[in-house]
Amino acid sequence: MKRHWSTSLLRFCAPFAVLLVLWAVLVPYFDVNPRLFPHLMSVVRAGIEGIQDGTLIQHIGASLLRVAVGTVLALLVAIPMGVAMGISPVVSAFLTPLFRFFSVLAGIAWIPIATLWFGYGFGAITFIIFNAVFFIVTYNTLLGVSTIPLHVRNAAASLGAGRWAMLTEVLLPGALPNIVTGIRTGLGFAWRGLIAAEMIATNAGLGYMLFVARDFYKTEVIVLGMVVIGILWLLLDRLLLAPIERSTIERWGMVQRA
Amino acid sequence: MTEFPLKLWGHYVRLTARWPSIGSLAPFLPVIAAWWIVTELQIFPRVFLPGPGEVVRSFGSLVYTGILPEYLQDSLVRLVVGAFWGVAIGVPLGILIGLSPRAHSALWPPLLFFQAIGDIAWLPILVIWFGYGLVTVTVVIVYTVIFPVIINTVLGVRSIPITLHRAALSLGASRARMIWEVILPGALPNIMTGMRNGLGYGWRALIATEIIVGTSGIGFMMFDARRAGSVVEILLGMIILGILWYIVDSWILAPVERATGQRWGLVTR
Amino acid sequence: MKDLVIRNLSKTYFDAYAGTQVTAVRDISLSVAEGDFISIVGPSGCGKSTILNMIAGFIPHSSGEILVGGKPVKGPGRDRGVVFQSFALFPWRTVLENVAFGPKMRGVGRAEREKIAHEYLALAKLSEAAGRYPNELSGGMQQRVGVVRALANEPDVLLMDEPFASVDAQTRMTLQEELTRIWEAKRPTVIFITHDVAEAVFLANRVVALSKGRVLDEIAVDLPRPRVWDELNEDDRFKSMTGRVLQLVRSA
Repeated sequence: MKRHWSTSLLRFCAPFAVLLVLWAVLVPYFDVNPRLFPHLMSVVRAGIEGIQDGTLIQHIGASLLRVAVGTVLALLVAIPMGVAMGISPVVSAFLTPLFRFFSVLAGIAWIPIATLWFGYGFGAITFIIFNAVFFIVTYNTLLGVSTIPLHVRNAAASLGAGRWAMLTEVLLPGALPNIVTGIRTGLGFAWRGLIAAEMIATNAGLGYMLFVARDFYKTEVIVLGMVVIGILWLLLDRLLLAPIERSTIERWGMVQRA
Repeated sequence: MTEFPLKLWGHYVRLTARWPSIGSLAPFLPVIAAWWIVTELQIFPRVFLPGPGEVVRSFGSLVYTGILPEYLQDSLVRLVVGAFWGVAIGVPLGILIGLSPRAHSALWPPLLFFQAIGDIAWLPILVIWFGYGLVTVTVVIVYTVIFPVIINTVLGVRSIPITLHRAALSLGASRARMIWEVILPGALPNIMTGMRNGLGYGWRALIATEIIVGTSGIGFMMFDARRAGSVVEILLGMIILGILWYIVDSWILAPVERATGQRWGLVTR
Repeated sequence: MKDLVIRNLSKTYFDAYAGTQVTAVRDISLSVAEGDFISIVGPSGCGKSTILNMIAGFIPHSSGEILVGGKPVKGPGRDRGVVFQSFALFPWRTVLENVAFGPKMRGVGRAEREKIAHEYLALAKLSEAAGRYPNELSGGMQQRVGVVRALANEPDVLLMDEPFASVDAQTRMTLQEELTRIWEAKRPTVIFITHDVAEAVFLANRVVALSKGRVLDEIAVDLPRPRVWDELNEDDRFKSMTGRVLQLVRSA
């Protein structure tokens, strides 16, 4: 039963409409202290101001840029490494515990040491994001390549595939479900690591915006920030990750529909 | 000529077959060795990268002075409390959402949205409401744990074949009995997966919270050490984090997850 | 098509767990003329898959030689096509792209190789499935794709490793008849591995009985073609040949 995307969108937004109405009505009704929780209108106003004077856009831009740079760098290193390690069953069996161990420490746990090594600013944050994505993507790529059935690899060899063709036609597509899962998880870690790092290690970005607002009890900025963060991640998921999964691995029957 | 390495490999295979834990520990030996060599050669200044020996010594002194056990206890207690509440709230919610299409359409979108905000983003406002104490940390952990638990519970509830529902109904089960006798056991493997994932995220969230707003615990120890410029304790903290989670996950959580699925002949993947 | 000669082929490997050398295949000699169809039959563990893997070049042989058209074999290649028990289709490619894979590796242009693929799909009566993905097809259809995928690359020798063991009994009979039809049309040199004695006799011109890594006997099957199950099930000569091979294989 295929639904038009506009219907799906409406159904998705309906609960939020209810929540927004509740917010607009209950908060003034109970006379909630604005230093504890903002009115809906003040958040909207803060948002409009932030767009008009450019600060909100700046923070969003800074955060997204860091995530993008760190993630792309990490993927460029992680995927080739994962493929190279996954090809040999002996190597992958040996290295898997190592990468599982380091995946646990992904992102946030590196903040103290990163700020010590790189100081505050872009370097430390990019390192943390790189870290958050790198280990988990390498681990998942390794897993993905090593679980490609031997028969499929043999089939390609018996059809005349050389080394390059084997890589592009068999290993990468075969490992793709795991790679995408790794990217999805890694991005999640990266995003959270980013916000955390921005809270303590820099002076631009959404995390920073939240933390500074706390000092001044500007709850409307805080809530605005939280909403923006939520929307950004949802957009990232629906507009970037889900379409990739849909048009590749779901179509190939390799995973169930998410 | 290849006899000797082959014999050695044979010994290794037999050893790891009898004690699989050796297979999970062995790969770390070259890493530790490389670390030791790098620090001995002073490729990076000692201040930036201390060696394994210093870390071990620091471990010893922190245990001796009782600081490490106390911090560890603090962290673990918070995690357990938070995880408990996360599961206690998450599983019933997950069952509700899994069973009722109306609850699903009402609650699923906000669920996704609040999951997207993430636990860290809540810290500023939580600090305003509850200050820098135990409540803030616990709320963050509950928040983090609850989403994987709910999502996996929903998955588990939905993957119970309809024939099982019908069998129970035809045997006279009421709604309430159905949940206890059919839904919960049927969804249990997925719930265990959700709990395992949730604990993993909760562990990370705990450390993050302790780093940013903590007053004790392993995360706090790492951040405090950073302020004092002492890398040794940071490294120690990270290693402890990793080992602790590795142990708990591989030797407790994963086997439990496997056991519930296997014992009942249910396939979780 | 070329002929295949195996001389004194052996395979031993090191079992790490037991700590000893194990001999899987002992001193096998065999020759298959161009365009011939032989079946290698034997119980599980008798080494027949190992032989096939060595011919295909997936595993190295310990001693002896494997010659295709007089040239020794070194690793996998397009001169020896393989059909696998697990089908081994590429799930991320359509049926058409799977069949066109071999020509693609050879550098054949897109229009040309799709034409070839369509030709072979028509031969297997699978033309409507061309745009589908493997996971959308039944097991029997997937294996037919596997067969024509190997054939479309026009290998010198076609190696088939228990290809019909993973499909149900009725589909298997249909596939066996299909295979003989395709074989008579294209006449590739085929080595067919199976544990099913009746299948071996049905398909081949010659049946090689194997047990514990050794050749027990070779039996010529001179039944007329085309072969159809309904007829052969009543045929006395078919039954006696099958009986003889079965006896050989079971008594060893």
